[in-house]
Amino acid sequence: MADAQPIETVVPPTSAPDDVLRVEHISKRFGPVTALRDVNLHLRKGEVLGLLGDNGSGKSTLIKTISGFQKQDSGEMFLHGEPYRPRGVDDARSQGIDTVFQDLALIDELSVYHNMFLCREHVHHPIPLLANRRMKRETRTALDEIGINIPRIDVAVARLSGGQRQAIAVARTVNSDADILLLDEPLAAMGAKEGSMILDLVARLKAEGRVSIIMILHNYVHVLQACDRVSMIQDGVITLDKPTNETSVEELTEIVVNEYRRAREQERSERQAQG
Amino acid sequence: MSSVTGGPPASESQASGEGPEPRARSFDTHGPLARVLSLREGSIIVVAIVTAVYFSLETSNFLTGANFKTLLPYFAPLTILAAGEVFVMILGEIDLSIGAMYLFSPILFYKLSTAGISLVPSVVIALLCCMAVGAVNGFFTAVVGISSFVATLGMLFTFEGLSLIISHGAPVNTPGAEVHQTTVKVEHVVNGHHIFLTETVNHVGTFAKIFGAGTYSEFIWAIVIVFLLQTALTFTRWGLHTVAIGSNKLGAAEAGVSVRLITIRNFVLCSLTAGLVGILEAVRAGSVQPDPSGANEILFFAIASAVIGGTLLAGGSGTVIGALIGALFLGILQDGLILQGVNANYKLFYLGLAIIVAMTVNVYVQRARRGHGSG
Repeated sequence: MADAQPIETVVPPTSAPDDVLRVEHISKRFGPVTALRDVNLHLRKGEVLGLLGDNGSGKSTLIKTISGFQKQDSGEMFLHGEPYRPRGVDDARSQGIDTVFQDLALIDELSVYHNMFLCREHVHHPIPLLANRRMKRETRTALDEIGINIPRIDVAVARLSGGQRQAIAVARTVNSDADILLLDEPLAAMGAKEGSMILDLVARLKAEGRVSIIMILHNYVHVLQACDRVSMIQDGVITLDKPTNETSVEELTEIVVNEYRRAREQERSERQAQG
Repeated sequence: MSSVTGGPPASESQASGEGPEPRARSFDTHGPLARVLSLREGSIIVVAIVTAVYFSLETSNFLTGANFKTLLPYFAPLTILAAGEVFVMILGEIDLSIGAMYLFSPILFYKLSTAGISLVPSVVIALLCCMAVGAVNGFFTAVVGISSFVATLGMLFTFEGLSLIISHGAPVNTPGAEVHQTTVKVEHVVNGHHIFLTETVNHVGTFAKIFGAGTYSEFIWAIVIVFLLQTALTFTRWGLHTVAIGSNKLGAAEAGVSVRLITIRNFVLCSLTAGLVGILEAVRAGSVQPDPSGANEILFFAIASAVIGGTLLAGGSGTVIGALIGALFLGILQDGLILQGVNANYKLFYLGLAIIVAMTVNVYVQRARRGHGSG
């Protein structure tokens, strides 16, 4: 049914000489649901790419595929020009791709510093006991650098506010020595104050130029403010790929308005066909 | 998004906003009791102590060295069983097959030993077989996706049945646990006269002394295992990832925790400790009893020890030391009821009521503890 619907433009595979990541013809189905049909995407070094899309358009599926959490059905990914086939989240992380998932992947029962180092814990040698003091110290430094105020880092994260938890998830990824960061709605549970702190952090990372970032956002103003380029994903394909200085809130809004209008027309024609 | 993150209750965030260390302050103002209560297994420690004090006041011989020795076989085996079970329960799973491993491993040990394999290698092979069963439990749970309750219930029946088949339902003497009797002349002083009386002394071999027959053998095994497993749980990546899976399985997987591997590993550990207890108990008793109902009772007591010791059936939280205290509590109850001269027919009845009363008290002690803001 979705296949029958005409999509105005599908962005073909594009590339730039300084690409760190390229995603070509990725598709992914979950039973009867096609989450990704044919996704083409590229990410340049030091770039912040904003990914927009309606609920269920496939944004999170795409992020989970790049992050190594799940495998695509078809298509190829390239990391620094080499074929990239992550065997898992850990493998992707060891290749320099780290992710803030939409659900944050925080463990309520564990302390802030154990969450910060989850799955890349420091241990002593030769007996591999957890180096808690070192992890606490580095957590404190990392949180201070970001400027998020978390009074105590040895309490369970269950006791923190939504914004604080989100800040910890972002700090964990930023602190991970990865050179590609995937942020799935990093501002979702945040108030203006904490949200602007994360946007400042992204701006600072961009200025440093070391990392490249793909960020899922909902707020067009944030996209235009924080990102170099914006891609829109609709019905499992990328339909827009533009530098942010060549687009505007109006254009992005119009695309979405058109999408809603098309969906409504389609529903009406289906109902007529049935009736 | 709000459904995923869910902030803490307002009262808690207020408490943490009051000052940098509200928890430390409640220690200072409420003294050592609050300090004990702030431990996860704190409330059950209090309940166990109260129970012990009750029995020492009610009976004249509860607080004696001899009674401590009687108490040991009640709680040491339960402690070891519960210690392994805690690792599975923290994952949010349950292993019912420990009853079968408890029954199966000494029978296998007997078969191997009578087939000509020497004692220690027989123990090792029997325990390796238990670990293989644990790996199968883990495989069904983590890879196939059967609920661990059902998968391990199936394994419980299967291996209890297998135990009956290979043992033909007949009890046998435990290899290596034979008792040799010697007579010695012991000097006594009676009315100022030195006289010698002949006494019979029982001897067991070194193997038996180490594997359960020595007075403190099971106790030492229990203490060493609790120490090692609590250390693993609190201070290693394995323990941290175990808690992570039990608390938020999807989140742990997204963070890169190998959920399947840890799940299988913990089931293997649980089967290993159960198999070990089976052999220790068979050596201590001197005979291998193919009795599934006894094994099932042990299974329930072991899981009860873990739960009483503060391990959540839902997963994400629990301690090995708590399991030790839970087992100690059950041991004190059983031993105390016997010392009080409770009719054998009433023992189980009173035991059940006492568990319910104690756990009700435990809930109130925990609420008091939360009141200190240190939950």
